[in-house]
Amino acid sequence: MLADVTSWLVWIFPLVSSVFVPLIARAGEKARNAFVIGVTAVTASLALTLIPAASSGEGGAINLVAPWISQAITAGVYIDPLSVLFTCLVGFFGLIIAIYSLGYMKHEENLTRYYFYLLLFIGSMIGLVISDNFLQLFIFWEMVGLCSYSLISFWNNRPESVKAGNKVFIMTRIGDASLLAAVGILYASLNTFSFHGTITAILNGTLPSSTLTVVAFLVLGGAIAKSAQLPLHTWLYSAMEAPTSISALLHAATMVKAGVYLIARFILIAAPMIAVLEGSWLPTVAWIGVLTAFLGATMALYTPDIKGVLAYSTVSQLGFMMAALGTSLAASESLGWFASLFHTMSHAFFEGLGFLLAGGIIHALGTRDMRLMGGLRKAMPVTYALAIIMILTTSGLPPFAAFFSKGLIITSITEEGSLLQVILIYATTAITFAYSLRFVKLIFLGKESEHLQKLHPHEAPKIMLAPAFVLAVACLIWGFLEPWLGSYMGVAEVPSLLSSFVGLETAIFAVILIPAGLLIYAAYWKNYSIMNSLRSASNPLAKLLSHGYFFDDFYEKVVAKGVMLFSRGVKFFEVVFLEIFPMVFANMVIRFAGGVHKYFEAAADQLLTVIAGRTVDSAAKVKTLDSLADRFLDIIARHTLRSASRAEGSSSSLQHYLAAALLGFIVLVILLIISVGV
Amino acid sequence: MTVPYSLLLVFILPTLGVPLAYFAAKKSTKAAGILVALIALANIGLVLSTLPAIASDSIYQESYVWIPILDARFTLFVDGISASIALISLVLILAATLFSINYMEGKKNLPVYYALLSMLSIGLVGVFITSNLLLFYFCWELMLVPAYFIVGGWGYRESYRAAFKLFIFTHAGAVFVLLGIGAIYMTTGLTDMFAAQAALLSYSGIARWILIALTAGFAVKMAIVPLHMWLPDAHSEAPATMSALLSGVIISAGAYAILRLSLGTVFPAVAGTEFGSSFLHGLAVFGVISAFFGAFIALVETDIKRIIAYSSIAHMGYVMFGLSLYSSAPIVGAITITAAIVGTVLHIVNHAVSKGLFFLSAGAIMHQTEMRDINEMGGLAGKMPFTGASSITAALSIAGSPPFACFVSEFLIFVGAFEIISVDGFYTFPTIFMLIATVLSLAYSLRFIYRVFLGQSRSKNAGQESESEGEKKVVDAPTFMKLAMGILVIFVIILGIYPAFFINLIKTVAII
Repeated sequence: MLADVTSWLVWIFPLVSSVFVPLIARAGEKARNAFVIGVTAVTASLALTLIPAASSGEGGAINLVAPWISQAITAGVYIDPLSVLFTCLVGFFGLIIAIYSLGYMKHEENLTRYYFYLLLFIGSMIGLVISDNFLQLFIFWEMVGLCSYSLISFWNNRPESVKAGNKVFIMTRIGDASLLAAVGILYASLNTFSFHGTITAILNGTLPSSTLTVVAFLVLGGAIAKSAQLPLHTWLYSAMEAPTSISALLHAATMVKAGVYLIARFILIAAPMIAVLEGSWLPTVAWIGVLTAFLGATMALYTPDIKGVLAYSTVSQLGFMMAALGTSLAASESLGWFASLFHTMSHAFFEGLGFLLAGGIIHALGTRDMRLMGGLRKAMPVTYALAIIMILTTSGLPPFAAFFSKGLIITSITEEGSLLQVILIYATTAITFAYSLRFVKLIFLGKESEHLQKLHPHEAPKIMLAPAFVLAVACLIWGFLEPWLGSYMGVAEVPSLLSSFVGLETAIFAVILIPAGLLIYAAYWKNYSIMNSLRSASNPLAKLLSHGYFFDDFYEKVVAKGVMLFSRGVKFFEVVFLEIFPMVFANMVIRFAGGVHKYFEAAADQLLTVIAGRTVDSAAKVKTLDSLADRFLDIIARHTLRSASRAEGSSSSLQHYLAAALLGFIVLVILLIISVGV
Repeated sequence: MTVPYSLLLVFILPTLGVPLAYFAAKKSTKAAGILVALIALANIGLVLSTLPAIASDSIYQESYVWIPILDARFTLFVDGISASIALISLVLILAATLFSINYMEGKKNLPVYYALLSMLSIGLVGVFITSNLLLFYFCWELMLVPAYFIVGGWGYRESYRAAFKLFIFTHAGAVFVLLGIGAIYMTTGLTDMFAAQAALLSYSGIARWILIALTAGFAVKMAIVPLHMWLPDAHSEAPATMSALLSGVIISAGAYAILRLSLGTVFPAVAGTEFGSSFLHGLAVFGVISAFFGAFIALVETDIKRIIAYSSIAHMGYVMFGLSLYSSAPIVGAITITAAIVGTVLHIVNHAVSKGLFFLSAGAIMHQTEMRDINEMGGLAGKMPFTGASSITAALSIAGSPPFACFVSEFLIFVGAFEIISVDGFYTFPTIFMLIATVLSLAYSLRFIYRVFLGQSRSKNAGQESESEGEKKVVDAPTFMKLAMGILVIFVIILGIYPAFFINLIKTVAII
């Protein structure tokens, strides 16, 4: 029963609390910071209490729903080992980063906004992994993108930060569109968003296998963008403009892990029909993973940016996780799947550690350029010691966590993958070792650089070292939890710890590290001229690596420029055809009207003259008639008068005249009556 | 609890408001603004009072004697679709009026402005709540006349030119609408859009011409490319309040009319024929073209209001695409509700609040900074935090990011599209294009946010400190502007998190 409440609280609590950050901030900075630490601590402990709930679920997931948009479209939580694992990861890292931020972000302004988005980020990510349906998952998926955008461009008066934020948001949006299509297609064919409903439909065979394949590829599209896989990996390097605490959170727990979670979840959901995906989808996942791992590692070998190394390292490690997911059909049924999740946690610990240390170094030195560093081991001995743990874990050396998880991934790929994949993955582990060595050499070893001598750097404050120390401990012990995690996640054959040490894979792994180490030794300790010429900027290989295989150049110079150019073209088109054309049309109308004026009216003028002339003429004729009539009347009158005067004499002439007029009038009236009557 | 004559009152109150606002504004413009806002608020109450009737009967009607010789009755109705859009229009009128109080301060002829605003709200709401075609046309034109004078009289730069363009274009569209309405009357002898639906079924030959005429006319109002040329000018030169209403309600009226008249009344007559399906396909193509066209230009435009104007064109493309997903075998007697149509109506609602908010915020920026070129702005978030937050909310909603409003409706439209794809393969490519368009809409929204609010100020006198004497210091928007934007921000967020109210309201249409 308790788990029912906590499974809702664990994501709603940080989401709702985020809104209170600005309110509490009015009470002062200390209250705000205490509140944030409190919320993240509560969230982390809520997440931890879910662990027993999931394992007691007898293999089945706990699925709780609440009405939301309609009776059929509900909000819900889905508690199974997979979601609990990620919830704990996010909860734990939320707390770690909140504490670290107290130190790292101490002197920054606008921290209310920072903590608001931090809590929102944590809440959204937990919401993402705990959702029981694709719609809710997708909404949180987008919200994670939104929060990462806001946090990456936190220093929003720096154009680089904002541009990086824009790039991250837009590139991941490409994947979002793909995921949206997947969710939409699933809903259109199954009429449900819920995982449970989808699993039932797949079990019953209601979902056509072609639809499942299409959906699977679209889901992969979403994961590629979010988890920075080829070819959309470049945003992760740009995201280094973020405050380092946010980089740590982003790399270890939130955002990039969402893609891994999505694929892992999708494999679980599609498990009854996994045979459909075996042919093309799973190998695609594996290939993308392997290639990303390899290319990411090579790029980490060259970049001069301290956070850049870590960023490319994350890209590479995410590739490992994807590759393992792509080999999910290993002999022990879900070995690859388990290996991937196991490694997700290992990676969170060592990469998180790396970023926390890098943050301290950047704080002390005020630069991210490793070429300005060197010999830092004396000034920052604790950081140096922790960094050694970090690189040993990254390289996968025993007894640190990644030794076990990476070993399991290699085993899984060896069993399921092709030969080329196996070779590439071994090569990647060797390169990982190489870039880790280079990282330590450039920053900590050698003699103190000029930049360092000017600065007199000091050790990072305790509040920043303590979280790093916790992560270092986690790096050390996490690997030994493999058997427990295996049984918790429900893996059929829990791999024993011992088997990690004795396999053939381990031997190959150990041997292959030697040449890699030697190469780095030759290049950075001995400075052999051949290595220097290899590293010089004019070398095509170096150029290739420094440009990150020209992916970004392509996106920025071809795609982005192309879109902008095309947009200008559209605007030009609009101006020419849609602005000018109506104007031409309007002008034509006006000219036509002018024509009407000119010709028609002129004609009308002429006509009018003619008519007027005629009228005048006729009027004149009327006048003639009139005068004729007058004369006629005159004659009549004269004759009448004459006859009258003959008869009566002149005295009665007027009387006669009137009588005649009256007679005429009567005749006229009679004529009128007759004419009307007719 | 239904108020008697409630829909008639929705007409009468703003009509009374015209002289009242005029005389009130002679004394105090603030009083006039509050009066018009209160009328809008009362109208919201009146429309809300009909909701129980809609819930039980799916429609609420009132009918009065009007022009007996044409057999035209003054029939008013609301169903789920009308009520949703009418409600959101009233909310927008409310916000725009409150915004005017500060925004129009110090302008000339304000009594006339408030009277016109009240007159405008008769037509703006009336068009959504009448089922009589003549009354519909009457309201349709009544929207235009006050709009013309407000754009012309209180706008920016060459405002009368823009107003003239607005008038000529949409009036030319209205001629087609009148033609279609006349044809419906000539063939069926009916002026009621519901009665005409059944009667038109036997005239499928003429119905296709009516369909084309009506849709073309409405598409002009909706500013579908290539009939959109009036929109960027009118939106960018109008005062912010009018831009908000133009973009939020007036162009939505075009979309509503296509749904209600073209698809609702006339389309069943041609449904199932080859013409019917190619008509819908045509709408989809125009929708995609508009969505891309608007998004591309919004990506390179530098005028703050023109960016928003072009994003309106893009969003009307989404709406048009949603409309094209109308069932090709509609149920006679009602609008056929599918996920896509729910999404489309919801998108009209969501776009109205989001775009209204966007234009009001842009208006606040222009009012406070007296700039309109985004290349000269930058770093405004620090100086105008409230306006910044509301603009960013609006921009992200327009970009379709959860938890803001437009995400839900865009998502529903896409779900509807995928449902249709399994029946009609034609929609595959338009849907893919629309998905790509969502990326572009995010791109122009982020560009807007970046150029206006983030980074450093790039204004011409950025060299000298803005604090220097004689230079007006940029401060955040005054109270009523904040109030207006605040109302819309709340709507944008609530509609994004809990869209169930409007979705359920729209869905009541299905029950006959």
